[in-house]
Amino acid sequence: MSDTLCAISPGDRFAQAQMDRLLEAEGIRRDRCLDYSCGIFDENEVLIATGSCFASTLRCLAVSQEHQGEGLLNRIIGHLVEVQLTRGNTHLFLYTKAGSAKFMTSLGFYEIARAGNDLVFMENRRNGFCSYCAALQKKRVEADRIAAIVMNANPFTLGHRYLVQQASEENDVVHLFLLSEEAGPIPHAVRRRLAEEGTAEFPNVVLHESGPYMISSATFPSYFLKDSDTVIRTQAALDLTVFSRIAQCLGIQRRYVGEETSSHVTALYNEIMAARLPVLGMDCHIVPRLRADGGIISASTVRQAIHDGRVEDIRRLVPESTYRYFTSPQAEAVRAAIRNTPDVIHY
Amino acid sequence: MEILKSAAAGTLESSDCLVTVEPGQGITLDLSSSVMNQYGRQIKATVLETLERLEVKDACVTVVDKGALDCTLKARVECAVYRSCGASASNIPWGGAVR
Repeated sequence: MSDTLCAISPGDRFAQAQMDRLLEAEGIRRDRCLDYSCGIFDENEVLIATGSCFASTLRCLAVSQEHQGEGLLNRIIGHLVEVQLTRGNTHLFLYTKAGSAKFMTSLGFYEIARAGNDLVFMENRRNGFCSYCAALQKKRVEADRIAAIVMNANPFTLGHRYLVQQASEENDVVHLFLLSEEAGPIPHAVRRRLAEEGTAEFPNVVLHESGPYMISSATFPSYFLKDSDTVIRTQAALDLTVFSRIAQCLGIQRRYVGEETSSHVTALYNEIMAARLPVLGMDCHIVPRLRADGGIISASTVRQAIHDGRVEDIRRLVPESTYRYFTSPQAEAVRAAIRNTPDVIHY
Repeated sequence: MEILKSAAAGTLESSDCLVTVEPGQGITLDLSSSVMNQYGRQIKATVLETLERLEVKDACVTVVDKGALDCTLKARVECAVYRSCGASASNIPWGGAVR
């Protein structure tokens, strides 16, 4: 065999251009969020197969039309799996076209969900999603009115508290999912603690980890890194399809979301939620934002204030517990991390 | 042998297999094979036998088989186990167990 498999660096313009052409020829949209790419080149340095990673997902997989059936994708996937293992990721996800799903099954991937007719979301654990659902089912509470909220709580503000309060008053049980992914300067452990403290007064709220199947870098990478609207829409639709399966496990009938006025990606997500959730058999309650000082309360504003060194300003925007944390000496490292993040506003 | 960290050996090319081992409770084997209907039981027996010979009691083992021969399966399982407990660095006890 005279073809070679090698990594494609982001700066290799020639190889990158070939990759774009190959993906386009195979009808695959290139994602903007990729953190590793590789390809197989034939003896004339022509790219004949390619594949990429982002976080724990494999994506943008394509083999040139003239070289299909030569087992090239097996080599690509094998190589990417190896790359992921050296990063310490053993639980892997991938996206593929519906037509290729069967082939991916032969490489040890199992289907989780499909978005529309063309995108299939898979993982390399036979019982991955099933056992996640089974674990959730153990926390199921039987009641007449069951709601869910998914939040990043980055950090927990009076706006979050207001949303939880609305859901808590109008329902018997509220399942609150906190994003598990580490994204941004405030660590997950801190977000979790502040959300716990901020919701302690509502006895019917059950706190869960969102895990890898809800607004994660696997299901929804464009939530974390900028991408085009079409990409956001497809990923949001997929995220909601997976969410509806999770909702069934817990008997969730409605989802509460805060109205979005500034973040582009969240506004789009809300718009798709309002359209998709009723189709999936759930209600979508969009709650208007709580206001303070003539503006809406948002976690972005809180981060901006901390970023600019105006920690006192957050007092009217956050509950006592969050304020106490951010003004405490132990939060110095987190405050410094926020100050050193150039852009703290969610796009 | 004790599985200390995740490790893998092999490829997804034809006539090979990709074996991944992870720490676990007891032995759990997840096998998928292109020749499952013809050789599924034989592959399972070979993998479990190799693990037993290596005295592995607790592991999550995933095998994605592409029609590997028994000797290939054995070698891949052995290699993945050695890598998972750092034994592949030196004195590899091929065909035996680390004492």
